Parts: sequence; structure tokens; C-alpha cells
Amino acid sequence: MAVTREHVEATLKSKLNPSHLVMSRFVLFFVFCDMFMLDVVDTSGGCGASFSIEIATEQFEGKRLLERHRMVNAALVEELKQIHALSITKALTPEQWKQQEDKKSQASA
Amino acid sequence: MALRLQIVACPSPLNKCSPVATPILAPFSLRPHQNHRLPTTTTSTTGIGMKANSSRLDSTGRKTSSIRCYSALTPELKTTLDKVVSSHKVVVFIKGTKEFPQCGFSNTVVQILKSLNVPFETINILENEMLRQGLKEYSSWPTFPQLYIDGDFFGGCDIAVEAYKSGELQEVLEKAICS
Repeated sequence: MAVTREHVEATLKSKLNPSHLVMSRFVLFFVFCDMFMLDVVDTSGGCGASFSIEIATEQFEGKRLLERHRMVNAALVEELKQIHALSITKALTPEQWKQQEDKKSQASA
Repeated sequence: MALRLQIVACPSPLNKCSPVATPILAPFSLRPHQNHRLPTTTTSTTGIGMKANSSRLDSTGRKTSSIRCYSALTPELKTTLDKVVSSHKVVVFIKGTKEFPQCGFSNTVVQILKSLNVPFETINILENEMLRQGLKEYSSWPTFPQLYIDGDFFGGCDIAVEAYKSGELQEVLEKAICS
């Protein structure tokens, strides 16, 4: 069974309890946002799952970037066996996420 | 949005994982010659790349991971890897070679290191399946590239990119090379 982005999202949500989770679909340039700020990018081109993730969770508090990535990798250990590529473009604490959003809105204002 | 559009320009059928890497590099000041690297890589290494890809497919075309069923990290391999990562200040385990990286993520890290003018060694994990599987355990890291600085695992492509953007990578490299 191919790993779906719903599956990856569900796993990350249950294991890391993220305040924000953004996965993106590169192939279709399709940005999917729902009320939970979910946004999925699939880079697989239709041949094997490939995801790009932006995630913020309190569990990252006080952890280095490498440790944060390891936590995501550990959460997705089963899924990773079938995912061709996983790109964690952002691993932030909720506080850092907020700062980033503030910056974005300032830039666009 | 403009950034993302660049992704389409470069994906090659060979490097299935490459689409991400191009936009990742895009925010940096890409040197002109680097823009031409991906297409060159693809044409000149097609034979090797296809072999590497097909060996990972089973009859149904699905990727297999049967080799993960047992530990690939033998004590001998561990000793060897200890020596390899400590014998050079900067070592990257990549798909392909320094001259012709065969994956966009590997290419990204190679280009970053080249742009920083640091001496580094690359090891092509596509040439040895045991090494490839063993390294995943050795580094506790599921993907490639894997960057080692001063004998320590630094991270994969995303971390290298992030650290490059923040300037941390430059600091760590400087420290390692001066030590």
C-alpha cells in the first residue's frame, strides 16, 4: 500500500501533536489548506510517495534542528519505508512558527 | 509562488527526488554554472542511474525494502565508517559523485559545500548496497545525503540548507577546518 498524505498527517498528528503541520504537493503546485492549516505537497510525480513537511510542535522546544528532524523521522519510521523522499523544510516550535507568520504578514502588508 | 515554479524547470525523470532540491537552492545566489549541472548529470550518467533505480524495484514495480529486515551494520562496517568519517573534516555520503550527483538532494549539499570553498570528500552510496543500508543505521538517519563534519553527523539536505541559510554551517565548517 502506498502511503498517503492523510496517513502521514495522521501519524504526525498523533505522535508529535503539532500546533501546525504543512505538507505540500509540488507536482500539482496544489496548495491545500484547511481549517487546521494543513497544506500538502506531493513530490512523487505519481511514482512512490514523496512529501515535503513544515511542522511546529511544542515537543521541539529546547531541541536542536537535528534532534527535531530525528523526532519526525522516528515518528514516521514505518511510513519512511515506503516514502521515496521526505523533506522537512521547517521544524519549529509554536513560538517560532508565530514569529514566522508575523514576519510573513509584515512582508505582505 | 515564483520560487515554486522553478521546480518544474529542472525535474529529471531519473532523479525522482530532485524536484525539491532546485527550489531549495533557488533562494541562494546560484552561480550561473550551477544552473546547468542537473541536465548534464542526467545525460551523462543515465546508465548507472537506471541500474540503481531498477535494482530497487520488484516485479510489481513497487519499491522493495527487504534488505532492511536484518541489520546491515556489521561491526566491521561500523569500524570502517568510524575511520571514514574521522579521516576527513567533511565527508558526505551521497547518491552519485561530487562531479555528477544523481539526486537533487545530494546535488544541493554538494553545491553548498562547493560554494563555501571547503575541501570535502564524497562517497557514492549507490555503489554499495550494504554501505547504503548500514549507513542508515550508523547515522540513525533514513535518507541520503548524510553530511559528517569533524566526525559528527551534521544532518541531511534540509538541515544543511537551513544551517547554510542561517550561517551556522559556515561557522561549524570553519571551526572544523581550523581545528
